[in-house]
Amino acid sequence: MNKVQSFDELTGLRNKVIKNIDPNKKVISISAGTCGQARGSNKLIEAFQKALVGNENKITLKITGCHGFCAAEPNVIIYPQGIFYQNLKPGDTAKIIDGVLQNKIIEDFLFRSNGDKFPEMKDIPFYKHQMLTVLLANSFIDPTSIDDYLSVSGYSSIESALKATTVEIIEKIKRSGLRGRGGAGFPTGKKWENTRNQKSEIKYIICNADEGDPGAYMDRSLLEGNPHSVIEGMIIGAYAIGANEGWIYVRNEYPLAVKNVTNAMNQARSLGLLGKNILGSGFDFDIRIVKGAGAFVCGEETALIHSIESMRGVPRQRPPFPSEKGLFGKPTNINNVETWANVTKIIEKGEDWFSSVGTKTSKGTKIFSIVGKVKNTGLIEVPMGITLRNVIYDIGGGGLDGKKIKAVQTGGPSGGCIPSNLFNLPVDYESLSEAGSIMGSGGMIVMDEDTCMVDVAKYFTNFLQDESCGKCVPCREGTQRMYEILKDITEGKGTQEQLETLVQLGNVIKSTSMCGLGQTAANPVLGTIRYFRDEYNDHINKKKCSAAVCKEIVSSPCQHTCPIDTEASTYIALIAHGRFDEALEVIKKDNPLASVLARVCNHPCESKCRASETDEPITIRNLKRFVTDYGLKNNLKRKVEPVPKNKLGKIAIIGSGPAGLTCSFYLAQNGYEVTVFEKQPVIGGMLAVGVPEFRLPREILKTDLEYIKSAGVGFITNKSLGKDFTTDGLFKQGYKAIFIATGTHKSLKLNVPGEEAEGVLYGMDVLTIMNLGKEVKIGKRVGVIGGGNSAIDAARTILRSGKSDSVTIFYRRTIAEMPAFEEEVIASLEEGIKIEYLTAPKKIISENGKIKACEFIRMKLGDMDESGRRTPIEIKGSEFIENLDTLVISISEQPDISYISSESNLALTKKGTLDVDSETLATNVPGIFAGGDIVSGPNTVVDAVAAGKIAADSIDKYLRGEEMKREYKITRPSRYITPIEFSDKELEELLTAKRAVMNYLTPEERKHNLKEVELGLTEEQAVKEARRCLRCDLETENGRAFINETKQKTLVTETQNA
Amino acid sequence: MPDIKIDGILIDAPRDWTILDAARFLGLEIPTLCHHDGLSEWGGCRLCIVEIGDKLNPIIVTSCTYPVQEGLVVRTATKKIIETRKVILELLIAQCPTSKTLQDLAAKMGLTRVRFKPKWEDCIYCGLCVRMCEEQMMASAIGFVDRGNKLRINTPFNKTSEICRRCGGCIYICPVCMARCEGVKPEDVICGRCQNSLQPTCIEFYDNYTCWEGLKGDCGTCVKEKTEIK
Repeated sequence: MNKVQSFDELTGLRNKVIKNIDPNKKVISISAGTCGQARGSNKLIEAFQKALVGNENKITLKITGCHGFCAAEPNVIIYPQGIFYQNLKPGDTAKIIDGVLQNKIIEDFLFRSNGDKFPEMKDIPFYKHQMLTVLLANSFIDPTSIDDYLSVSGYSSIESALKATTVEIIEKIKRSGLRGRGGAGFPTGKKWENTRNQKSEIKYIICNADEGDPGAYMDRSLLEGNPHSVIEGMIIGAYAIGANEGWIYVRNEYPLAVKNVTNAMNQARSLGLLGKNILGSGFDFDIRIVKGAGAFVCGEETALIHSIESMRGVPRQRPPFPSEKGLFGKPTNINNVETWANVTKIIEKGEDWFSSVGTKTSKGTKIFSIVGKVKNTGLIEVPMGITLRNVIYDIGGGGLDGKKIKAVQTGGPSGGCIPSNLFNLPVDYESLSEAGSIMGSGGMIVMDEDTCMVDVAKYFTNFLQDESCGKCVPCREGTQRMYEILKDITEGKGTQEQLETLVQLGNVIKSTSMCGLGQTAANPVLGTIRYFRDEYNDHINKKKCSAAVCKEIVSSPCQHTCPIDTEASTYIALIAHGRFDEALEVIKKDNPLASVLARVCNHPCESKCRASETDEPITIRNLKRFVTDYGLKNNLKRKVEPVPKNKLGKIAIIGSGPAGLTCSFYLAQNGYEVTVFEKQPVIGGMLAVGVPEFRLPREILKTDLEYIKSAGVGFITNKSLGKDFTTDGLFKQGYKAIFIATGTHKSLKLNVPGEEAEGVLYGMDVLTIMNLGKEVKIGKRVGVIGGGNSAIDAARTILRSGKSDSVTIFYRRTIAEMPAFEEEVIASLEEGIKIEYLTAPKKIISENGKIKACEFIRMKLGDMDESGRRTPIEIKGSEFIENLDTLVISISEQPDISYISSESNLALTKKGTLDVDSETLATNVPGIFAGGDIVSGPNTVVDAVAAGKIAADSIDKYLRGEEMKREYKITRPSRYITPIEFSDKELEELLTAKRAVMNYLTPEERKHNLKEVELGLTEEQAVKEARRCLRCDLETENGRAFINETKQKTLVTETQNA
Repeated sequence: MPDIKIDGILIDAPRDWTILDAARFLGLEIPTLCHHDGLSEWGGCRLCIVEIGDKLNPIIVTSCTYPVQEGLVVRTATKKIIETRKVILELLIAQCPTSKTLQDLAAKMGLTRVRFKPKWEDCIYCGLCVRMCEEQMMASAIGFVDRGNKLRINTPFNKTSEICRRCGGCIYICPVCMARCEGVKPEDVICGRCQNSLQPTCIEFYDNYTCWEGLKGDCGTCVKEKTEIK
């Protein structure tokens, strides 16, 4: 290559390059950055090269850097149309080439979201909301070709720069408002000016490419995908500052970046763009590359300078700043890769264009890497000032598997966590810093409900205690001590005093450390304490890790998340051994309503099951159902031995639902005389009148009720609080304590015009009446409004009554947001119930006081609300009328507190529920306790059972005159079960084993009767499923000790036998 | 020569002085550990921190490295600075409770508790020995190895050094090796406070140790004042 001697020659060369591009030739551009290669783009390239033989003159294959969309790797873009194909395999190449040749779009490979397909890259939500500027060329230039860079007006900025004076350029950069992209955001123009104004013959500039934050890779992608843009920026900067030597400090872990940038430097040098007398301007400049060994601290400028000087990569105290005394003691200007690339763009497009983008204090665009628990992971470039919500939901596509996003960590280990309620925050230097985080180099790690914030803080602190250089005490010792305390907290050994120490220590580290690493090292800890102190308190006081992450507290997540502490891991292990009798003992130990919950539990245990990380969770509820059914079949544990009565007093339980039943059982087991009062003629509360028979056969309910009765509990039916008796009256009758658990049996009104018409019914009334075997007037065309379990139950119960021709459920969101159990929704669809999603009622139309039709409006999903669900918004003009004879409203329930007027001294919450101490469930009236739905509002059966257990404990302590205080312990199984030694063949089978599928009656067999829909698992299915359990209960210290002990014992027996 | 103000006292300090130089010239006591007049500045122990700038928005800097500048305002002993120094010293003592240098500082600074598990290490990585060896003995036989929680001081590759002349300079200057505290017990890592001095109480009232005389509570007036206010 001949050296270009003047600006005109460069323009001539560029024009020649552009002329040589055939405009009719299609381009297939393959994303082949490090991440693309890791996901298989090299094999794809090979396949394309082979498949393209014969078509080379029609299609150009371009191997580019990263296209940014990690979740879609490996991907290609077809130019000129800009068609985007994702997640390709080598086998797909022939199809794509055919498509390109015939101008056809291959639908199979398009990006899909919510059922929509997106052919063009610019329409894909991930790209649509971005503002690609610095990253733009990444998707269509070959980073190894300087011609490609020249063709996109590359190296045109140095021309205008070298023709201007140094002061003019610095003024331009200052006016543009560019701030350092490495993290601290120091104004670039000012930094340049400082270095320029130093009186020194020799000055240096450095490009900082020591990118070490976990989850950040924007610098790497730029150096890999567009190295010339960084070199061009450096030439401009060097000229403005008066430096003749530049350094690129890049970590050796970035081999492709090193390779591409070295190659680019050689190309620029041989073209005369680097070296002596660049383009005849008289300005000399060259760049050297230094490969760092990967210490995080070497990203700090003084440490980086030491590292280039071949000394230990350790910072020194500033001042003096590098601009005064830097590399080899000379004035030095250090900027980050992205800053240098932005300089090129500012000179090319003008400082006014740059400053028109962004906020008042933060200008231009910024590259972020959005990773973690979000659908569309990748590298994005957005204008400063975009909200976090836009980034996470519009570009990132929201949480994985519909899970709720809790926080985002910005700025890597030096940054902080920003909670979801602050997601409207604009992304700029000041706002992030005010929220306790930093911009950093632009890593964004999204965290959801399965992320424990204490664990996150521990992770980053562990990283930092390892990466701290150790020179200054607060950073070296402080991070180690913070880690020590965090470790204690995550192991359930933490104290409140330690938490206060942690805050104090964090502030000391922040204010007294020598360099940026230490000064920001406490951010992850201080930030999580600031926004998630509750989680810290839960770990310390309640030994609870709500994300079920902290191993030493959690043991197995199934046991930890169970509201009633059922030892799922233990009984699953017993099932795997075929020891069903013992499994039943384990289940019944913590659960008097075992058969019921085995059918109607919402199984929170399964949501955190470790097996779901790689496969599907263990079907824990169905395993429990298998064991309880086994117990019934073999007549096991049908009764308990009543204990002798104590003399502490009589207790009245009001309401015979799951909360009341559980409370009565445990109190009776404690020797109390317990009487349960029930308003309805039947016992069971919501279990008897709310849950339909086809989900919970009455025979099954009866066996659990018999079990509770066997403990010596007495029942009085048809007696209603407030009408037939009062709490005062009960105390007068000699009852020493009362537990109110009357539930929520009143359906909420819809509040639309015409609701008073005949034929408008309420879900809870319909279910109650029909479950009691009485008649309800139901028309031919039935509509049900709501998306919860009671709406589905009501629809299925009406369908089974055979009175109607059609049953349709109207729900204002989509199936993904429906609160009802997924299996129930699917079953109802199978049975022929129709569901209209995104539909809300507007008014009820009646004739002669009787419902005739209902007017609905279509909805669309808008932004995420506080609950993490997308708010439905009405679509104007989409109203339609549906003819109906019966409309069942089942949107939610509230407690019926009409009896409160006579019990007016009981305090209520704003929601209209009873106000209790959440720890003890005591009301404001001594001796009266309350729990279940009457306190929580409509909630699950298992939470009601949990409330019953807590109340029983509080009442016991109250009557014994002890302090009512709950004791919290770290979760452990009461006994360890030896894991099964699998043979190789069995192991192989287990690797491919899938979650056991429940057996059902067919829709035809079930839709006209009340037979139980779910048939249960077979013994073979159950044992196989239980063997799929990963036995994570053995991963704690105690678990490991048990394994060692078992091994020792076997060893001893073997030696004895030998 | 730049005019600077330390604890309210104006001083015309030579250009090449640090804040520590100026403060010591005035007789103001600032605790130091890794600083030594005969060695280059290190800035690692952070005990010599002082506050500079606006009182409402102060910046904490190490006085041993910070050069004097025209118009600089320095506060050497505010409540925040003293509390912060105590935490740093607490970290150091927890690391190496057997250092008499540290125990004496604890007694002087009124540190009475250590909340962290003692590590019983024999080094606090102040770097005095490394600088002594390199700058005064011209040997560079020892240096820092590794980083963070694995940091240690050693000869290259943990081999007996051929450069070392056994001069003992490193041991001489070490705040741990020669000055051993024998009094410290595992149950309480703060020892008998043999260097204990009067703990002035003026800080509670003025957010600052410094009195009119430039002393730090030694006159006892403030203590008296406190009793009167009570």
